[in-house]
Formats: sequence, C-alpha cells, structure tokens
Amino acid sequence: MTDRIAPRGIGALLALALVAGGMAACGTDEPGQDAKAPLQIWIRKPPGSPTEQTAKDLAAKFTAASGVPTQVTALFEDFETKLQQAAAQKQLPDIVINDTAQLGSLVKQGLVREVDRAGLAGSGDLSPIAWDAAKGADGKHYAVPFSAQSFALFIRSDWREKVGAEAPTSWEELDKLAVQFTKEDPDGNGKADTYGYVIPGSTKRGYTSWYATSFLWSAGGDFLTGEPGKFTTAVNSPQAVEAVDHLKGQFCTDKTVVPGAITMETTQAHQVFESGKGGIYFTGPYNMARFDKALGKEKYEVVALPAGPGGKASSLAEGENVYLMAGSKNEDGQKKFAEYAVSTEGQTVGMAGDTAGNIVRLPVNSTVQLANVRQDARWQVFDEIYKTAGRYTPAVPDWTPFRQSSADAMNAIFADCASDTKATLDKLAETFTAELTKQEVKG
Amino acid sequence: MTTTRVAPARSGAPAPGAPARPSPRSKRRVAWTRRLLPWLFLLPALILFAVFKFVPMARAIEMSFHEVRPYLGDRWVGGENYSQVVTDEAFRDAIWHTIVLAVGQTGGSLAIGLLLALLLEGAARHLWFVRTAVFLPTVAAMAVVAEVWRVIYYPAPDGMLNNVLSWFGMGPSQFLNAEDTSLWSVMAVGIWRGAPYDMMIFIAGLAGVDRTLYEAAAADGAGPMRRFWHVTMPALRPVFAILFTLAAIRGLRVFTEIFLLTNGGPNGSTEVLMTLIYKLGLERNELGVAAAGSMVLLGATVVLTLAVQAFRRKDSR
Amino acid sequence: MKTRPPARADRFDSALGFTAQRGPVARLIQIVLYVVLVAVFAGPLVALMVGAFSPVADPSRLTLWPETLTLDNFTAAFDRGVLRYLANSFIVVGLGLLLQILVSVSAAYALARHRFPGMRLVLLLILSTMMLPEEILAIPLSLVLADVPIVHVNLIGTLAGMIIPVAAWAFSILVMTEFMKEIPLELEEAARIDGAGDLRILWTIVLPLCRPALGVVGIFGFTMIWDQYMLPLLVAQDAGQFTLPLALRTLRTDEQAGLGVLLAASLLALLPSVIAFLALQRQFMKGLTAGAVKG
Repeated sequence: MTDRIAPRGIGALLALALVAGGMAACGTDEPGQDAKAPLQIWIRKPPGSPTEQTAKDLAAKFTAASGVPTQVTALFEDFETKLQQAAAQKQLPDIVINDTAQLGSLVKQGLVREVDRAGLAGSGDLSPIAWDAAKGADGKHYAVPFSAQSFALFIRSDWREKVGAEAPTSWEELDKLAVQFTKEDPDGNGKADTYGYVIPGSTKRGYTSWYATSFLWSAGGDFLTGEPGKFTTAVNSPQAVEAVDHLKGQFCTDKTVVPGAITMETTQAHQVFESGKGGIYFTGPYNMARFDKALGKEKYEVVALPAGPGGKASSLAEGENVYLMAGSKNEDGQKKFAEYAVSTEGQTVGMAGDTAGNIVRLPVNSTVQLANVRQDARWQVFDEIYKTAGRYTPAVPDWTPFRQSSADAMNAIFADCASDTKATLDKLAETFTAELTKQEVKG
Repeated sequence: MTTTRVAPARSGAPAPGAPARPSPRSKRRVAWTRRLLPWLFLLPALILFAVFKFVPMARAIEMSFHEVRPYLGDRWVGGENYSQVVTDEAFRDAIWHTIVLAVGQTGGSLAIGLLLALLLEGAARHLWFVRTAVFLPTVAAMAVVAEVWRVIYYPAPDGMLNNVLSWFGMGPSQFLNAEDTSLWSVMAVGIWRGAPYDMMIFIAGLAGVDRTLYEAAAADGAGPMRRFWHVTMPALRPVFAILFTLAAIRGLRVFTEIFLLTNGGPNGSTEVLMTLIYKLGLERNELGVAAAGSMVLLGATVVLTLAVQAFRRKDSR
Repeated sequence: MKTRPPARADRFDSALGFTAQRGPVARLIQIVLYVVLVAVFAGPLVALMVGAFSPVADPSRLTLWPETLTLDNFTAAFDRGVLRYLANSFIVVGLGLLLQILVSVSAAYALARHRFPGMRLVLLLILSTMMLPEEILAIPLSLVLADVPIVHVNLIGTLAGMIIPVAAWAFSILVMTEFMKEIPLELEEAARIDGAGDLRILWTIVLPLCRPALGVVGIFGFTMIWDQYMLPLLVAQDAGQFTLPLALRTLRTDEQAGLGVLLAASLLALLPSVIAFLALQRQFMKGLTAGAVKG
C-alpha cells in the first residue's frame, strides 16, 4: 500500500511539468497599431559604455523630431539569447540594431519585417553595397543598413622604421616585414620575443575563417561563387588553396605568427598587439580608440591590405543594420526611426565625432562627409577600403555553418604543418555543398 | 546519557524511519504522519525543482524533436536532430575526449584533493591562510582562470612553464596549441581548479571523524598509515559517495574550461560532447539540435549515475 | 557538553597527526610544502590580479610587481557601473543562500533520516536537475519565470526571479544527505523517546552535528549563487538589474575595456567569495568531535 504513494506523487509532478510546458507554447494575438506607442530599441553594445550613451542620444533626438517616445536597452554578451527569450515571450522589441550577420537567422525565425526599400525616405542616399547587407537570401530587404566597417592592417610604425622598411605594398613585402619583426628585435630589448603577425586563430565564432576571408578574396579565391539562390562551392579552387597555403606558410615556414595564435580569440589578440608581442594585426577600426590609449597613437599606422597574388585587394565588409522587428504595435514609428537613423542627422549623431562612443563606424549615407565629422584621418583609410574593396560574405540564408566549418578546416591546416591543404579544402568543399543543399540555395 | 562512538563504517543498514516504541493507541496516527513526514520535508525542494527545472526539462525533451522557432512555432522533425548530432564526424572523437577528460580530471582532482585535505586539515592559524590560498582557483571566475593559464602555457620558448620545463631539460612545448598536448593541458587546468574543490569536501569529512578513534588506534600502536586506512578512509565514506556521484554528473559535462581555452581546437583535438553541442546547436541558433545533443548527454549521465549508485550499494554491503 | 582535554587536542587534530611532529626537519619540510602549495595554487592568480593595477597586461608573463601602478582600471570598472552590479549580487547571494540552506537541510533530513518508498527515484530526479546544460533550459526557463505555473506571477525584472530558483540546488541536498546519514541513530532515538518532534530533533541534534557539511554547503552555495550567469541574464530586463557575472562577461568581450578592467572587476568579484570562505571555514574545524557527541 505504501509503495503506491511515491510513484503517484512523481507521476503527478511529471504530469504537471508536461502540462505547464505545453501551456507555455501557445497563444498569440495580432497587435493593434498605435502611432504613439513607445518604441523599444535594443542595441548590441556594452551597457555602461560610451556607445550606449550615443544610442540614447540618437533615440532622444529622434523622439524630439518625431514625437514618438523611445526606450533604449543596451545589451552585449548573449544578446541573441535575450532576443530568443523575447521572441518566446512574444514581446520582441520594436527596433534592434545589430550585426548584419544576424540577418539570415532573424529572417529564418520570422523575427523581422520586410522593408520596402523604395518606400523608405532617403533610401536613395544609402550606399548600394550597404543595402546588399540588408538583403535576405530571397532578394528581399529585411533591414535598413545603419553602419559599415572594413578591415585594415595595423602595423607598428616604430618597429617598421627601426628595421628600416617601407610600408608594405605587396604580400611579399608584408611577409618580409613580418620576418624582420620576428628576427631583428624591433623593440630592442635584446630578446627574440617579438613576432610579425597577430592572428586570432581560434575556431570560436569562426574567428579563423573570419580572419582569413579578406586574404582569401585578395588572392583571387572565394568561398562560394554564383548568384543568390544559386551558389557553387569554390573553396577548393587553386586560388583558394594558394591563399590558405600562403597563410599556412606564415605559421609553418616563416614562423612569423605570435605563439598561441591557433587558440587565440580576438580579445586575446588585442592584448598581444598592444603589449608589443606582434607588429602586424589585421583588424577593424573599433580597435583604434583602445590601441591609442594602451599603445599610443604614434606607434602604429593603419594600412590597407595589399592585393594578393593574382588578385585585387579585398576586405571583408561588415556592419550593423536597423531591424524592424515583427509584432510591433507601432509599425509607422519603426519606419520613422529607421529613416531618422540613416538620415544625415542620424548618421552624424551615431558617428559621435572622434570619440569612442561611435555606433556608426562608417556612415552608409553618401551625403555624410566623413571628414567633416571626424578629424582622425585614419577613418578615411577604412572608408576608402570599404568603398573600393569592401565585400560582404555571400548572401546565403545562414552563413554561420559555412564560417564555422571553414574555421575548423583552416584551424586544422594551420595547426598541423604536415597537413595536406588541398585535401582538407576538398573535404570542406563537400561540407559546403551539403550545406548549400540543406539551405536550398545550391546552383 | 551514554557516550556513543561514531561507527567508522556504517554497520549494516539501520532503519531510520522505525518508530521508537509508540503506544498502541496512537500507533495509527503515528504511522500516517511518519509516512507523510518525509514528503513534507521534501516539499519545498520538489516544488522548486518542478517549476524551475522539470518544466523546462520537459520542454527541452519536446524541443529535441522539433525545429525550434520561438516566434513562428515549432516544426516536428522526428529524430532528425538526434541523427545530426550522432552522425557528425566529430561525434566519436568527442565522446572519446569526453571520457578521457572526465576520468583524468575526476581522478586527478580526487587524488590531489585528498592529499591536500590531509596536509591542510587542522585548526592552526597558518593553515587557515594556506587553505584559503589553495582554495582561490575554485572561487576565481573561469574567465580569469583561463587568462592565467594562457599566460602560464604561453608557448614561446621563454614562456612561463616552458622555462620551468627547460630546467629539467624538457620542452619547449606548445601546450594548448598542438594536437598531441592540448587535451592534457586542458586536463591539468581542470585538476588545478577541481582539486581544491574536492579538498574542501574531504576536509569537512575529516572534521567529522571522531578524534578518540585516532587516540584509540594510536594507543593500539597503529602508525599514521594504518590509522589512515582503518580509521580515516572508512570515515570518508560520505565524501566519496558525494564525489563519485558528482563525478558521474559533472564529468561528462566538461565545457567551460575547453570553451575558454581552446574551443575544441586545435584541429578538433579537444572537442568534447558539450563543445560539439554548442557548435551544432547553440552557435547556429538551432535549439532543437542542441536539445537533442543534451538528451544524449542526459541519457549517458543517468546510466553512469545509476551505475555509480549500484556500485556503491554493492560496495557498502 | 564536555570538551576534550586540551593537552591532547593538538596531537590528534588531524587525520595523520601532522601537527604533532615538532622536529626542526619536519617543520622545514612543512614550511617548504606550504610555500609550494601557495605558489602553485594562488601564485598565478595573484600575479594575474596584479594586472588590475597596471596599464597594459602582458600576455606572456606574470609579475608580482608591475612597472607602473595605476588605478585607472578600477575607475573604468566603476564607470561601467560595477558597484551597482556588486550591490545586486549581494542581495541575491544573501537571500538566495539563506533559502538554499533551509531547503537543502529540510530535503536532506527527509532523504537521510527517513526511509520511504520512492526515495531512490526522488534522489535520482533531484540529481537529474544537474544533468542538462543550462543553455538548453534557458528559453523554457524564461517562459516559466515570466509566468510561474499555477500562481501566475511574473518574476522577470525582479531580484526575486534570481533568488527563488537558486533556493533548490541538487549539490547541497546531496552533500547534506550524505553527511546526515553518518550521524548515529542512537542520539535521535533517545530524543524521540523524550518526546521530541522531528523539527526539534533536526534543529537541536542533527544540525549541530552537521556543521562541516553546513560549511561545505555554505561555501559552495555562496560561490554557486555568486557565479550564476544564465538566470540573471534571463531575469534582468536592463543593466540596472545586472549582477557581477553578467558585467564580467560583457567586459571580457568589450573591445574598449581591455584585460585590465576585466581583472579589476574580477578582483572585486573574488573578494566576497574569499571573505565568505574565511568566515565559513570555522564550521569545518569545529566538527564532530568526541565531546560534541556526548549528549
């Protein structure tokens, strides 16, 4: 008799668990529109940072201009988890300002609304490349471009002068400079403790692939070729193999890469550069404020990546979009905010002059004159690179699996000097083809 | 009142619930309350677990069979999520690495933890200081621990640990950055962080040993080693019970150290089940796949836990 | 309660009777051993923490004396609102730990001192709560938090949402249960004959004998709640409700902040744990002694 009590108790608990779990999954209603409903704006920036303040300024100015109240929330780490949570609770913010790379995932989950590019005031002023980053795999636009950035080489100019070299204009010169940085004791401390390249080579978030992208393109290689909707794998083409082999040579033959690069994340790579372990770092403009403070503005220069063998110089382009989230009570307000954010005024506020508080790195609006807003000429370098060499990753529905698997493959190649580059990339090509099929965009 | 000694090993299995000579009249009432009583004491924990653990867990089981789309509604995919995890080419390696790490880390932490506990047990003032110092790795944030070890493992010839190795004519090693050393390097970090953890539980166990037993054993002429085997070890029974159960549960879940130190690299040499789940599911926002991977993990953990429990019961007989 | 004769207390203070050896060589070996242990376990951490006081942290070596000392990193950490996060953390850990110990002791008493059908299953169910990665449970948990079943309360955006769920923790229930099983039954039976109820037995007999276990549960419970990441992330609606671990994660990846600021904040996060540890160590040392067992 007593034996029966316990199982029944457990059963009841489990039943309760199942029922409650099931109940939580349903229930949604169509929101009624209200042009005065406050806009919840989420931006992926560290809370308490100057960038959060800029976002608040931008929202405040928008409210003053339009009369639509706003509330800004800055979140950084696990922004996506919070967004998933909001989606599950059917309480999405109205506006999200986040990486262009999130577009595919947001579209797939139905979290964003389509944007009528032609119907958006001032849309003609926005750079066509930037609009590409707001385009889904189906060719429709699901966001409004807000900020752009490109990448460039950060080179220790004091070291370069010490070893008596010019700024590199080809990959050979670049590699030679890296060798000199490694062997000729550019910091003059009498120890062989300096290196050429700082490379975030960890597989985390696909850093290896992310770093290698610009080099791959600059050498004439590609991840994928073809049109949106009809892609073919190109990651094992001769040019791609050559590009990857070139990077492998830095690890294995020249040994000009800082120790530990193979498991290094970007945060650690920043430290390695600013503490004077490595002299060449290919990274984005957001690091200038930090390195100016830690290293000193006069100790390094920003140089465009030279064209690789047989290629033309390319740089990975990235940026942020303004996403108009689904289920908003104020769709009109959403549109107005997007229009304001990309207007000359909105972009200028977001650029925040020369301060570290910029949420617009490079303006996407062609009416904004960069030189009028920022004195620091190095921004011009990035702007020039973005305009002439900037390229976004292919417009597949979801780039993440591609970035991940290519990071795994390249990490394996760099980690094992005895590895067969061609064979590994052939295998990666198979993975790519399978993923293209899965995402239904195989040409 | 009489003096009672703590039995070093639990003698048989006494029936804790047995009522002590109740009067016949109240026998029935007592029987009822006694039956209900444990459930009353368990109630707060069970309610909290039901609401904050079992409900989400039930949902996780459901998720493992769906393509999870919080906003659009889930789509049933059957066993597809499971096959995606199990057929991934890294899966078998990941299982192997998980087992190696789990065994190595728990074994190492247990052995060193016990040693530390024996060395640092006691009430002397300097011991407080040493214990606190040794305990630091356990309370420091894992992000900081990872930074510390990246510095220690700095793979240049003049790196910290490579320097030490060179005194013995060894090295330099690449540590985390080479395929043949990365798993062991991660394991060492796990032991460094796990040993003080185990030490604390051991010390608590040692504190529960009746001092008079030592005296009695010493009076019988037993040296430190015999005292250890015949008095200390039996008294540590609850500690071993806790640590083996924890090992079964936590061993398979090794994640944070690897995530922060190598993220499964280089060339997949430190890939474990959890990093694979992270890669296939969480990083790609495919919660269904992540849930399926976790169910595989859950299944393995339950089996292992039951095995440990069964082994313990057999052992204590 | 009688106490042990003080003269002999020292001799068998520890399992191996180490403290009894007073020879100069033994002393020296002991000291060397302690130095090595401190150097191995605390040395690297302390050396890294020194980076909190230096402008640029060197990723290739640890040093106890930075070339230049600065408090900039702390200023930067305070600018990021670390003090507010610290305050939130304190509230959560204080109330959370209190509840957690009450819940654990109560559950452990049932599991260790009573025999009832379904006990093993209950224990397994309790243990199973530790077996799933919390990332998987995050979204379902957030739904529960937004609308707690049956009572329909929304805990999102409240500190209660960070406190109530941590009140039940399988680890501390397991530790309490295993230690409680070791307490001799005779004491309890004697009290029962005297007419004491379960609560009184638990409070006056079982608990005092479980002090080492309470120490373990206290320390690890403190660290567990102090380090909670996913739960506060789900509960917090904006940075105003952040706890320290949330801020640490953000600082780790914040391009502008740098390692020094992270270290400064980590140091602030570490101190309370160390203090809690120092305070709770007392529990371990006044454990089950011969004197204490005497009724």
